[in-house]
Formats: sequence, structure tokens, C-alpha cells
Amino acid sequence: MSLSFAKPTTRTIIRTLIPIGTALLAFVVTGFLLLAGGFDPLEAYGLLLKGSVGGVREVGETLVRTTSLLLTGLAVGFAFRCRVWNIGAEGQLYFGAIGAVVIALTVAGQIPVFGVIIAIIFAMIFGAGWAAIAGVLKSRLGVNEIIVTVMLNFIAILFVDFLVHGALKAPGFEPQSALIPLTSQLPILIEGTRLHAGFLVAIAAAVLIYLILFKTKTGFSLRATGVNPKASGYAGINVKRSILLTLLISGAVAGIAGACLVQGVNDRLLVGISPGYGFIAIIIALLGREHPLGITFVAIFFGALMSGANLMYQTMGIPVAIAETLQALVLIFALVGEFFARWKFKEAPK
Amino acid sequence: MAPDSKSKVLEMKGITKKFGDLSANNNVDFELFRGEIHGLLGENGAGKSTLMNVLYGLYQPTHGEIHVQGKREIIKSPLEAIDLGIGMVHQHFMLTQTHTVTENVLLGLKSKGFFLPFDSAEKKIMDLSKKYGLQVNPKAKIWQISVGEQQRVEIIKALYRDVDILILDEPTSVLSPQEVNSLFATLKSMVDQGLSIIFITHKLDEVMQVSDRVTVLRDGKVVGKVKTLDTNKEELANMMVGRPLITSFEKGSVEATKNILEIKNVRAKNDRNLIALKDISLDVKGGEILGIAGVDGNGQSELAEVLTGIRKTLGGKIILDGKDITKLSTQAIRNLGVAYTPEDRMNVGIILEYSVSENLVLDKFSSSPFSKGLFMNQSEIDKYAKKLVSDFGIRTPSINVPAKQLSGGNLQKIVLARELSSNPKLIIVHNPTNGLDVGAIEYVHQTLIENRKKGAAILLISTELEEILSLSDRITVLYEGELMGMVPRAEVDIEKMGLMMGGSKLDSNSQESKGERR
Repeated sequence: MSLSFAKPTTRTIIRTLIPIGTALLAFVVTGFLLLAGGFDPLEAYGLLLKGSVGGVREVGETLVRTTSLLLTGLAVGFAFRCRVWNIGAEGQLYFGAIGAVVIALTVAGQIPVFGVIIAIIFAMIFGAGWAAIAGVLKSRLGVNEIIVTVMLNFIAILFVDFLVHGALKAPGFEPQSALIPLTSQLPILIEGTRLHAGFLVAIAAAVLIYLILFKTKTGFSLRATGVNPKASGYAGINVKRSILLTLLISGAVAGIAGACLVQGVNDRLLVGISPGYGFIAIIIALLGREHPLGITFVAIFFGALMSGANLMYQTMGIPVAIAETLQALVLIFALVGEFFARWKFKEAPK
Repeated sequence: MAPDSKSKVLEMKGITKKFGDLSANNNVDFELFRGEIHGLLGENGAGKSTLMNVLYGLYQPTHGEIHVQGKREIIKSPLEAIDLGIGMVHQHFMLTQTHTVTENVLLGLKSKGFFLPFDSAEKKIMDLSKKYGLQVNPKAKIWQISVGEQQRVEIIKALYRDVDILILDEPTSVLSPQEVNSLFATLKSMVDQGLSIIFITHKLDEVMQVSDRVTVLRDGKVVGKVKTLDTNKEELANMMVGRPLITSFEKGSVEATKNILEIKNVRAKNDRNLIALKDISLDVKGGEILGIAGVDGNGQSELAEVLTGIRKTLGGKIILDGKDITKLSTQAIRNLGVAYTPEDRMNVGIILEYSVSENLVLDKFSSSPFSKGLFMNQSEIDKYAKKLVSDFGIRTPSINVPAKQLSGGNLQKIVLARELSSNPKLIIVHNPTNGLDVGAIEYVHQTLIENRKKGAAILLISTELEEILSLSDRITVLYEGELMGMVPRAEVDIEKMGLMMGGSKLDSNSQESKGERR
């Protein structure tokens, strides 16, 4: 068969234009939704902008959101890149949070400086352990990892409910754990904001995930197994081990997200500690094309949407769900845009 | 027969088809007369399939006209092609496995009323079957019938739609010699009754045997149009490849050494959980090529997979150079010096999404010098890949392009380069030249001969009889999971091979045994 080499220049241009165009389109459509709800879209978007980048405090808030979105986005994106469909970042985040809080309240709290790191490591182990259930079932018995990870989300979320109502409940009325000691809290980076050192951990994780995926032999074999398990097995790569390892790494990264919420934002474990970061992460991973750099940009954008939506709610009473609508619309338009980009490439060369 | 005196049923004028900057067809003229078998000859990538896809409405030509029965037509889809009386039997059959022959024939046809006209359809199928000698059972399900019969179903499918031009794309690649003969008889009877046939192939013997005229394509251009009676194999080969062909090569005699591979009573199941290998025993010595012939689907893939640790055995022993490897992992078996080029190079031999260089180190990327500690050593990998690309003559724009941009022949070279570069003790090759052009086939054969000279034991599993006969030192046939005897090359001819491929055991006492159908 013959091949058509698409010119990289046009391709690159279209590839960068698509996300921008789709985001604009999503804003326009959401604008109509706002109109239908009786709000002035321009005023609302002004608040969105102000609430996300209007000042040091707002930027800090955006980056706090970004931290959670980036870590879970990386977890999902890493697994997707290796063609393992981990939909369970939310559950793995919750287990990471459990790991962090348990170790911080017991051992790590007593250790200065290293206590923070120990708690994060425990969160990674807990997140990886929770993902390992799906990993073992998938690699040993061929059980569909999508179903398992989705179900494990609910178990993890409800298990945290159970813990903060019972074993981990601090004295008082609220269903929440005791505050973790200062030694295991992530330090605040900028005075007057909530931005904590977890943000740096997330950036480091992005770099690390990039290196693992594209520079190490582990990433090479994990990606190979993903795109073509048959050829990989025949070349001597252990396919079952690869699937399990993919989920372990993915779960560990999602676990860090849990640790950041406990050690950086809330300083304790509580009901609904994540407003669904692990689910939004799926959109982020897809929009970021399963690449750490893309995921980083999308996570910042989504972080801004989330913190800006808060101001829209506080000032105009616009439901926060509007931010989620926007995010979902961006993904839908991006998927459609992708289709058109490909379609054009096939027909255009004449 | 004098086709010139007959009417043109089809004329393609100045057909050019471009994909980007690449011309798959360049100003091609092609005529087809009523009642002829017209061989369309060319190497893979010469543009045969593109030309026929243009005719069948799958592609639109960049330039050029198509005239059917003297009238200019623009054919936008296969449906329109069929309406114009043009039918095509693809190399890979388009049949649904779980449906019956009749259902497959009716599939896609518009019928009046709510119910499918099964009875009348069956009658028409039987009529066609009798008329052209195409034996089929209309009530049989596709998965139950042989590949030869499936091909007859495809032909009937076209005839049922009243086509008078039939395109056959490499129709013999899946057939045993006997089935090829019966296909040719059918084709002759079809043209005797007024049909016209375009026979796409890269096999010279078949063109000489069955066609009336030949059009030869090379690099998208017509390089020759001849009557079969006025030409010969050498001339056609010359046109097709652009240089004389090495028809027979001296493979030289090599002293076979000790047994490198011994298989004892191996049994295994296939993916559908049915017994695919029944009690296989054989041995291959160093410096020897053992040819395993037979139609695919008789346990060939399973045998190769068992030997490379990809598939588990149910019983028996596999011994490599004195070491029992029956239970070892693929990685371990590879490390002991086993190379394998699988039949399905697109899906098993290569990761199409990975680059040429990545594919070249797919089996050794995790060892030195291609990895240092955790990290891959890109510069070493590139150096090595560049060397292999030039050593094995892999044609690629760069070592960094995804493998999917390369032609089938070059993909096979990648697999060979990777597998043979580590001087293996045992080489297992499965249909190594399937779908390759003549140049690439020669190359693969030479490579195997060289490795035989170096003392490697080679297990050649192939459906190409010519290949088996020209390369092997000893020959056997795998039929329904059993070996049909083991004979030295000197004692076999194509006739005997045909018998073995039909299920007759040939060695001691010519004892006949027939396995039951799978």
C-alpha cells in the first residue's frame, strides 16, 4: 500500500488550534446555558477570570486545584498511555488519603522533616495497593479493569465515610479525623494563600512520569504491551507483569493526590475529601493526549475553572456545576474536533 | 482463442492515483476483452491493488477515465461497480463465519418483502454451482467449510449479482495445489461462458498456466502488455522486477551437525480450545533446513508458538541443544538462541505504532548496551538500528518513523534483522515470504541459506510449495495437527507433496491415515 506523509507543519498548527477552538466553543455554548438560567454570561465570565487569576490568593487557589487535578490526571493518563483503562483514580486517591492520615496520626507525626515524606510514601503504597486489586484480577483472570476500578471507587469512598464515622473519628460533632500533627503537614509555599508544597510534588511527578514513560526501559515495555500485547509477548516482554505494574504506578500517583488533600489542604481526613478529582482526571488525561505536558496544561486550565466557579457562585449564585458542564463540553468538542482533523487529513492531499 | 477479435468490456484510460506526493498508479491503460482471463502481474506495491480498487469504486482516480461496455462511467462505490457488472473476490475473504453460505450470498442484497428468499436463493446458488463446477453446500456455515470452499462462496457471491467482469485478488495464496487446479478449471469454464476475468497475482507460473493476456505493472506504471502465448516466464520476470530473476540458486551442501531441536510427542490446543497438535515428534540438526508444508490452519501457528514458549503444551518435550525448554518463558527461550519470525508480521512481529529503531531492539532493549540501569540508551539504540537498516537494506525514510509507514517487505526485513542479528542456534520462520515482492523473497531466501551455512538449525513452516522445495533438506507436511511422514528433499516432488497435503502419510509402508475434520 502507499503512504501519505502529512506535512508536520499543518498538522502541528491544527493540533494546537483544536484545543483553543474547542475551549472557545465550550465557553460560547455554556454562555447560552447561563443566559437560559437568567445570568449575564459576560459578567459571569468576568468573575470566572477574576476568581481564578485575579490576584495572588486566586492564583494560589487555582494551583491548589491544579495539584489534585494534575496528580490524578497523570495517574489516569499514564495508565491510558499503556492502554490500561484505570477509571479508579478517585478510589485510589481516597485510599491514598487513608494511608497518609493513618501514618501521620500514628508514627510519622512524631518524626520531624521526614514525617511529611513518609506520609506521602504511605499514601502511594495505599493507592497502589487499591489499584493492585484491579491489576491482579486483570492480569491473572482477565477481568475487565474498567468495571473493577469503577466499583472500587464506590467502596473506597464509602470506606472513608465508615472510617471517619468510626475508627478514625475525632471527638466532636463532625464526621472527620483528628488534625494531623504539624510535622506531617505540607508547608505553605506563599503566605496568604493555601498553595502548599504538594504543587511542587505534582510538578515533579509530571516530570517523573514523562521520564518513566518515554526514557526508561520500563515505560518502553509498558507502552509496547499496551499497543500490542501479542507482539510484546512474542518479543519476550512479560505481559501480565506489565499490566500489573501499570496499575501499581497509576494507583501510587493517584495516592499522592490523596496525600496532598490530607497533608496540604484539609490537614485531616473527612467525608467527600475529593469533589471528584479522579473522575475529572479522565477528561484531563484525554484532553492532554495522555502526555504529561499536555496533562499539566489542561490541569492548570481546569484548576482555574474550578476556583473561578467558586467566585461565580459566591457573587451571582451560579451553581458550581456550571464549571463541570464547561469541562465536559470542552472534552466533547475536542473529540469532535479530533474527528474532523483526521477526516480533513485523509481527503485533503490532492 | 483470439481475444483481439472480441469486444472490449472494460477500458481504463490514463489512470493516475496519487496519495500525497506518491503515485500509486501513473497513467495506466488497461483493457479487458470479453471471454478472456487477463493476468495483472506485478510485485507487491506495484499498484495492482490500487488499480483494481479504483475500478471497484473504493478509490477515486486522480486522473483518468473508466469505460465499461464502451460507456464512460464514474464508479463511486463497490455497490455501483456491482451494478455495472464488476465483481471482486478479495484476498482476504469478506464472509461472516457464523452464517451459512446462502446467508452470506444474500448479505447486502436488497430483497423485496419482509422475508429473505432463502429457497429461491438456494436454488440459484445450486444452479451457479452446477454451471461453473463450483461445489458448495448452501446450508453449511462458513466456519465449517474449508478455505477452498470459502473462496468458491466468494465467487458465487459475485456471480449471484450477475457480474460479467470478475476480479480475483491473489486467489491462489490460500489454496493447496489440487485446489488451485480446480480453481483454474472453474475460471476456464467461466470465460467459456462469456465472463471476463482479471487475475491479480505475483506468481509467474500461474499467469503462464491460466491467462490469455498479461499486463505487467512496475512502480505504478504499465511496463508490458503481452499475449501469454507470445511470452515466457523469464521475459515476464524481467518486466516485473526490472532485471533477470535468479530462478534457481545454489544453496550448497552443508554438513548437518548434531540435533539442535528435538520435539517429542508434543500436543497442544489452539485458541478455540480444540486439539491443534496431536503427538508431534521431529528433530532438526544444525546446518539443516526442515521444511514443514501444508495449508495454514493445520497447526502451523500453534507449533511455532509452542516452540517459542508463547503457547503452553499439553504434553511432550521440547529439547533445544540438549536442554529441556518445554516449560520455559519466551524470554528464557529467546536467550537460549531461538529466533522466530511469525506469520503475522503486522500484528505479532512488529509493533506498528513503534518506530523502526524501537522495533529493531524490541527483544533486547532491556539489556546492555541498549539500557543503562533504568534508562534506555537512545544513542546506542540509534547506532545499532542504523547499522541493521543498512546491513539488511531496510528501506525507510529514517529510523524514527513509525513502522506502519513501511511496506510489508521492509517490515519483514525488520523482523529478520532483529531475529537473526544475534546469531541464533534455531530459527523458526513461518510463511516468511508471504505477501513480499520478488526482490524481498530472494533476499529472505538468501538470508536463510546464509544462516544454514553458519550452522543454524532452521524450521521453515510455509504454505509456498516452491519455497519448501527449493530451500529444504528434509520435508514433512503438517495436516490436521499431525505430521504426514518425513522425507529427504531428493525423494519428493510436487505430486507427492499434494498427496501429503491431502492427508496421506507418505513414509513407511505408505500407510494411509485420515484425521477427522476439525
